[in-house]
Amino acid sequence: MKVQLLATCIVDSFFPEVGEATVEVLVKAGAHPTFPAAQTCCGQPLLNAGYTAEARALAIHTIETFSDEAPVVVPSGSCADMIRHRYPELFATVPRALGQARALADRTYELSEFLIDQLMIADLAAPDARFIAYYPSCHLLRGLGIDRQPIELLKAIPGGSVQRLEPDCCGFGGLFSVDHAPISKEMLLRIIRQIEDTGAEVVVGCDASCLMQIEGGLRRAGSALRCSHLSQALTGREPGLR
Amino acid sequence: MTSPFLIEARKAIEDPQLQELLDRNADTRRERRVNALRQLPDAEHLRERAKAIRRETISNLAVHLDKFTKRLSENGFHIHRASDGEEASRMVIEIAKKHGAELVAKSKSMVTEEIGLNEALASAGIRAVETDLGEYIVQLRGEPPAHILTPALHLTKEQVAETLSKQLGEVVLPDVAEINRTARNSLRKVFFNAPIGLTGVNFGVAETGTLCMVTNEGNGRMVTSLPPVHIAVMGIERLVPTLKDLAVMLRLLPRSATGQKITNYVSLINSPRRDTDPDGAEERHVILVDNGRGALLGTPLAESLDCIRCGACLNACPVFREAGGHAYGSVYSGPIGSVVSPALFGISEFGHLAKASSLCGACVEACPVGIDIPSMLLRVRAAAPPASRSIERGLKTYAWLARSPTRFRWAQRLAALAIRFLPTQAGWITSLPGPAAEWTSFRDFPAFSTRPLRARLGKMRLDVQPRSPEIEPPAETIPLPEKDLDESKVDDFEVELKELGGEVIRCSEGNAVDRIVGELYGLGVSRVLTWGQVEPILTTTLQRLEEEFQVMLPELPTDGSRSELLAEYDQAEVGITGSLAAFADTGTVVLSTASRRSFLPSLLPAVHLVIVRARDIYPNMETWLEAGGAQTIVDSSSVVFISGPSRTADIEMTLTIGVHGPGQVIAVVIE
Repeated sequence: MKVQLLATCIVDSFFPEVGEATVEVLVKAGAHPTFPAAQTCCGQPLLNAGYTAEARALAIHTIETFSDEAPVVVPSGSCADMIRHRYPELFATVPRALGQARALADRTYELSEFLIDQLMIADLAAPDARFIAYYPSCHLLRGLGIDRQPIELLKAIPGGSVQRLEPDCCGFGGLFSVDHAPISKEMLLRIIRQIEDTGAEVVVGCDASCLMQIEGGLRRAGSALRCSHLSQALTGREPGLR
Repeated sequence: MTSPFLIEARKAIEDPQLQELLDRNADTRRERRVNALRQLPDAEHLRERAKAIRRETISNLAVHLDKFTKRLSENGFHIHRASDGEEASRMVIEIAKKHGAELVAKSKSMVTEEIGLNEALASAGIRAVETDLGEYIVQLRGEPPAHILTPALHLTKEQVAETLSKQLGEVVLPDVAEINRTARNSLRKVFFNAPIGLTGVNFGVAETGTLCMVTNEGNGRMVTSLPPVHIAVMGIERLVPTLKDLAVMLRLLPRSATGQKITNYVSLINSPRRDTDPDGAEERHVILVDNGRGALLGTPLAESLDCIRCGACLNACPVFREAGGHAYGSVYSGPIGSVVSPALFGISEFGHLAKASSLCGACVEACPVGIDIPSMLLRVRAAAPPASRSIERGLKTYAWLARSPTRFRWAQRLAALAIRFLPTQAGWITSLPGPAAEWTSFRDFPAFSTRPLRARLGKMRLDVQPRSPEIEPPAETIPLPEKDLDESKVDDFEVELKELGGEVIRCSEGNAVDRIVGELYGLGVSRVLTWGQVEPILTTTLQRLEEEFQVMLPELPTDGSRSELLAEYDQAEVGITGSLAAFADTGTVVLSTASRRSFLPSLLPAVHLVIVRARDIYPNMETWLEAGGAQTIVDSSSVVFISGPSRTADIEMTLTIGVHGPGQVIAVVIE
């Protein structure tokens, strides 16, 4: 089955390793991933900052880039949620664009959701004996309602073990992480405390943005603990986003 | 420019004592809410219903308001409509002046905080005393409430004791029970002397013209029952169409707010005192406050009017947990406050609050009426002025770059080059320049990849046949567990009441009198407040009682001062009443003021002994409403649901039993 990979601007620019691992996972699952080269950014940073017109322009660009009918797979809960729930809102008053936005929303899937609910494949992971702390990111969990899927995939890793962290925002939140840095910091420190209390050997999540915040915090704190995207954990990569 | 919120939030973060109190609030309240909702077999379904009720009410607000005011006036209330806070305050002052009142006893009300009523009253020479424990303390300190539900959330018991000692001129030890006792004694005088009682309203029922107030401490009952004049101030949006809709809200509000199945007291007020009522306010006013609400109808922020002020989103919010309530600079704090404040009081002054969120969605998850707070925060952000020109320039440039893949690719290359001179460690930057320095002040930032994904994957081709998208499998429907409460109503009632700290004595009709008298001996009491000849069992009991106890049958005069009489009734150690009905699922007894059944025996004494007939126990509120309860409510001037002893957790979340109402509730169940 052909799929279109929407890598997200963060993965494309900072963590291409996550994109490569995602491709590897999809191939292993029997899909044929393609990379529409015109893709840039879904527009979420702009919408969240209150720049609706600019966000709409990027949404149109994304809708056009992914006009093919193949399913769109996103290795990010947050960006998948943007397309599924915010795109139709952005074009609520523009019937033609709304139709296209809804069509894209309907064929867009977050990676773990696509593997479990669409391909129905759980056991594709390389063996790894690490103890994983799974971080349920906010838009993935509350926006898309995805929780059991990544856990099912991680539990199928031969030799490993998984503990789900209590949902608690890491404090990223886009621009919030900079313009409300002191609060973002406290939130980050709280999630790091929770992670350390588990005694886990690696933190795994489905959103490179949240993991960037958490690994950035772990590194600064001098911790040896690293974060991996779900795709990296499933392909036996060493912990660390890059 | 740094936002006023952030300046205050920084102070909160640097205050370890406040942080501890905020952590405790978040952890305790969240756990209690989740547990309380988990016990409902149909929580998600109820939430959907509650959401639908609120949407419908707000969509047709004018119609419901018309019906509500019509019923209120048929019921004998005086109705006033205020377009803004100033007008509402003026109305209260006029009523007070008409009665020559210099003292107003207040029960907690957010709308009066919103309109600055206490300050307005003070400048008119009228003293308003807050009687909710937390609110009383912050008033003594001259502070605004720190949380819509827990006003003194930010204070330790030591700080509270110090405030009370200073203000009351007596030594108060930093012990929650002692603080509680001190407040109880000091506020007794206010309840007994105030010519006017003032409250907010949790829900107004449109079809019946009923005011509903949910409280725990008993002060709400005091100020609506004892002073001769009652003024209720409410926002125009606080309506539910029917009593049935009210029942839905009453299931969700306390669970979401404090994790209680029901609040200790649910007061349903239908009219001023009637001829056959032994007590209650003779004059009741309702002031309906618009103050910006009407203008929100039909706008993208109208959904904020659905809020029922439970505070669950505050307790769930990771930002509130760090910043605390005062940082928001508005009476409405937390996630919903970040929408309501700009919506009601102006985007230019409060729009910046919408940015104080990571949009994590914990608020909408906690909201009992499903308000999509993150979406509304986005709408406020879109309407708010930009925080800084440099950030605006940066975002607009980014948008311009990302509209073209060519520009985007070049920007990625340039960025990768530009950062080469920044300090890095294993591919992570440890120090960024400009506004981005905020990032690296406590975290590393990933370096731009010199080979972005597009450079690595760009050659992949669309070489497989496209397929049509698969249809998502239908969502599984989980059958709701059926609950059969009928068989064990009395057992359930007993379990629930005991869980609330109440006591249950089960006996037969024949030995009821002996059991009651025996219980009174056991309590070692001598003065009893009761109803007299209106309850068959009490009639017989009364003859026995009058031989050995001082028995008082309260009735308040309709003119002149009530305070001396009230002080005398307050000497009674125990109050004995019957009950109209009881609810098994919450351990609740139902009392009404009709037919000379005074509220005082269930309110003033430290012990309330209530007679419940097993046949009057219903599985829950809804079954009672259907079996004639709704009619009872309409026919009474006031009805109260009592669930266990009065309580508060206003100080350091420490549960204390027996605030203004009884600290001991004994149900004698006659089987």
